[in-house]
Amino acid sequence: MKKTLIERVELASAASSITFSSIPQTYDGLYVVASCRSDRAEYFDNVRIKPNGSATNGTGRYLFGTGSSAVSGTEAYAFGYTAGNNVTSNTFGNISIYIPNYTSSNYKSISTDGVGENNATSSVQAITASLWSDTSAITSLEIDQGDGSNWQTYSSFALYGITAGSDGTTTVS
Amino acid sequence: MATPAWVPLATTTLSSSASSVTFGSIPSGYKDLCIVINGTIDSSQDLKFIFNSDTGSNYSRVAMYGQSSGYGSFADASQTAGNWASVQTVRNTVIANIMDYSATDKHKTVLVRSDNAGDRTRAYAGRWASTSAVTSIQLDPTSANWNSGTTISLWGRNAL
Repeated sequence: MKKTLIERVELASAASSITFSSIPQTYDGLYVVASCRSDRAEYFDNVRIKPNGSATNGTGRYLFGTGSSAVSGTEAYAFGYTAGNNVTSNTFGNISIYIPNYTSSNYKSISTDGVGENNATSSVQAITASLWSDTSAITSLEIDQGDGSNWQTYSSFALYGITAGSDGTTTVS
Repeated sequence: MATPAWVPLATTTLSSSASSVTFGSIPSGYKDLCIVINGTIDSSQDLKFIFNSDTGSNYSRVAMYGQSSGYGSFADASQTAGNWASVQTVRNTVIANIMDYSATDKHKTVLVRSDNAGDRTRAYAGRWASTSAVTSIQLDPTSANWNSGTTISLWGRNAL
């Protein structure tokens, strides 16, 4: 999709969360790509997504593979997964977050794909489907972990705006 | 000005219910295609992807899923449509990537994410067993209808 960089944040010191504020209302979707690592003493951590700073009115379903097993379950907020502090040193996880129609008056779907890289047999790969049951347009996104952890130095988060449209040739019927 | 990596080709927001949506006259000048669907249907179904009106036994899939009823994986071959997403009466997001769609020397592969309102999450890999370039894509929720307000968009991706 046509992607326009709105803002990129790279942490010069640890932080409990990052926030994209004053998000322009001129795109058709939002896309976040992050390279991040939390200080939680685990090989994975949550990526809690808070539209307009809200952790309420959210539900999410995950499918999660650890290298030895798979599991599915739910959370009471929009979320994904990435690397915690027990993965290999200097190694960051990755996550992509897609929010279509973020300005609409419908509830907002949030899809994520995330991994916690690790040079060991325990790591994580997860897909999630979340819903923010709020009719407000999304004007800000706060991203934390929801468990009191912090994002480590050099974690980076980039927000893109997605634009749909027509080329004048392709038809829709 | 640099050539954009992703080019919007077509988009629609339905003003009334529709039994299917078709992108036609898809130009061949890109590397891959991407479709994003955000909306609801009136009855939970598999979503069929039909390329170039082909309803022969030329589609296959493998999928993994997590949902309230459980989690697992399944695969099917020789299907008459690309059953590459699961759409529900709650809000759905489907993201489909079709690689090398205009190539005439290979079968076509797709990767699809299919998510439903915090209830189920799925990932599919599919194949259309044809060396024809993809020029049309019909998105048919089997025996259901897309509800008004559903948005469906198509992009072409340039190779840089």
